[in-house]
Amino acid sequence: MTVCTVLRVARLSASDPALPDSLPGIDSMIEVPDLAVGALALGTLSAFALGGGLLRSRRHLAAQRAKSAALRAQLDGTTRAFTSEVEHLAARRVPAAARQAAHPHVTVPGPLSPQLAGSPLGSALEQVLQGLHAELAAQRTRIDAAAQAGMRGATREIQAALYRLQDALRGLQQRYDDPELTQTLFELDHENEQSLRRAQIAAVVCGAWVGLAREESHLVDAVTGGQARLAGYRRVRVGNHLAPGTGLVSHAVEPVAIIVAELLDNALRHSAPDTDVVVHLEAVHHGVCVTVDDAGLGMTQDERARAQRMVAGSDPILLTELGDPPRMGLAAIGQLTRQFDLNVDLSSPSPYGGVRAVLRIDSHLLTRIDPEAVPPAAGAPRSTRREAAPVTGSGPGTSHGPGPTTSPGPQPGPPAPLPAASDDHGYGAEQAPGHDAPASGHHGPRDGGGLPQRRRRGRTTAAAGPAAAPAPARRARRPEESAAALGALQSGTAAARTDARSNAGADPAVPEGAPAATSAGTAAENTDSNDHEGGTAR
Amino acid sequence: MTGRRGGRPLVPAYLSTGGVARPSRAHLERLSVLTGSGEPAPADLPAAQTALLEELEHGSLTVVEAAALLRLPVSAVLVLAAGLLDRDLVLARAPIPPARRFDPDLLKRVADGLRDLKHR
Repeated sequence: MTVCTVLRVARLSASDPALPDSLPGIDSMIEVPDLAVGALALGTLSAFALGGGLLRSRRHLAAQRAKSAALRAQLDGTTRAFTSEVEHLAARRVPAAARQAAHPHVTVPGPLSPQLAGSPLGSALEQVLQGLHAELAAQRTRIDAAAQAGMRGATREIQAALYRLQDALRGLQQRYDDPELTQTLFELDHENEQSLRRAQIAAVVCGAWVGLAREESHLVDAVTGGQARLAGYRRVRVGNHLAPGTGLVSHAVEPVAIIVAELLDNALRHSAPDTDVVVHLEAVHHGVCVTVDDAGLGMTQDERARAQRMVAGSDPILLTELGDPPRMGLAAIGQLTRQFDLNVDLSSPSPYGGVRAVLRIDSHLLTRIDPEAVPPAAGAPRSTRREAAPVTGSGPGTSHGPGPTTSPGPQPGPPAPLPAASDDHGYGAEQAPGHDAPASGHHGPRDGGGLPQRRRRGRTTAAAGPAAAPAPARRARRPEESAAALGALQSGTAAARTDARSNAGADPAVPEGAPAATSAGTAAENTDSNDHEGGTAR
Repeated sequence: MTGRRGGRPLVPAYLSTGGVARPSRAHLERLSVLTGSGEPAPADLPAAQTALLEELEHGSLTVVEAAALLRLPVSAVLVLAAGLLDRDLVLARAPIPPARRFDPDLLKRVADGLRDLKHR
């Protein structure tokens, strides 16, 4: 535009002839090309400038385009990485995290690219897993609680039904004494006790109450009661070293019986069927300890740690963690120890090679029961304490050291071949090593039949020898005994006289001596057993 | 000793006999009288047999009485007593047979016969 104006001005000035001065005409002649040149230069310049700008902007655009392409590529890569990371999360990490909730040993794999670990994306993905974990755990607890509630209800019903059955069975036992019927009733009662134990354990694991209120009872009753609930109860030897009358407060009776039953069940289960499980009841400073020793395989360090954790009862119990079939024993012990302030220790191995379980009952759960007014059950082992003073005075048999170390003796001793020997409940087990031989001699002739009197007389006198020692300590002699002893002396003399005539003469000698005694039966039996006194007189 | 606490016994009866219900001697009855022989109880005697023996220290008892004192069924005490008898720790006497009532009809006939003799 400027160029046009300049040109127009130049033309105007050139075409004006009326200009008086020629110089201005020359001037205008000179000015026109200048103006044109200037205009041209200006145009060229501006063209250059415009071209440069165009070029520059084009170059810029290319750079921008390249940059955006690079960015797009990068974005594509990131999206792909993100997608594959999320896919990895869905396909691998989430299932692993879900499995980990049930099986803690499962490891959750990390992100695909390791550098993601610290990045916001990485932590966001971690949060996904954590949220999943928390929700799963809550869900698991909820479901488990529902399952436990269901099981609690079912087992409660079963338990009540089994108690009713027990009442019926015991009523029948009281009413009928036919041996065959009694045998069946005993077996049914035992089966019932075992079922009852299972139902009770399941209920306790599910957080229920033990299901039975008992009165305060002797501790040894609770232990023996627990023993009776097991299939292998004949293999259990209970050594009672408590002061007579040591009892449990009412609310601790059933829990102690359950715990002892479970500990014994573990011990019986994990030891050979020809070995004994030894139980000792001992007073300790803070209360009483029930020690259960088995001669089985024992536990590894890991197993022991796990068992110890379970019986401590500090972790909440989930049914799904107890395995299939669920192993409820230790879990039930854990529940009870926590609820009733009892203490079970499984941390030390037994000197017998198996497991030693120690149940400690603190003093606040103990009470004293007058053993005269309320004696312990007939089947419960008598305390070794009562006869402790005279027996330790007269013989070296009883020692009250740490029980299990003193009683390995009876372990190989009774392999329970005789029914009569198998119902030995370990009373005075410490003395068994010394008395083993006479005891077996005792049983021998009885099984022989035939001529039991004569054969037994010879053996029993031999057997009565060592056993006779604690007799004076027990009580004074009764008149019948004195009479029997006199009768024995007389019969001994008679036997010596008739012995000269024939060997068989010894038998009639016994009735001859009998009239001397007050009661015929007493005399006949006592002359048998006290015959050795006459024998020494011979 | 009677009138003791009720409730469910902790220790079942079968434990006292070790699960045995058939006594080794068949002749014992509910009313058989048991007497301690006075021999000292051997150390390896099962707990329940010892308990029975201790009850007999105070004097003779019938099987039923012993069962009541030990809070055991009679059948279990029969097994325990048989075990003690086998070891000569206890003596047993058969129950005294209950006196039989005379047949009143027979008595009446005898009286009638006597009366007949007298009147003849």
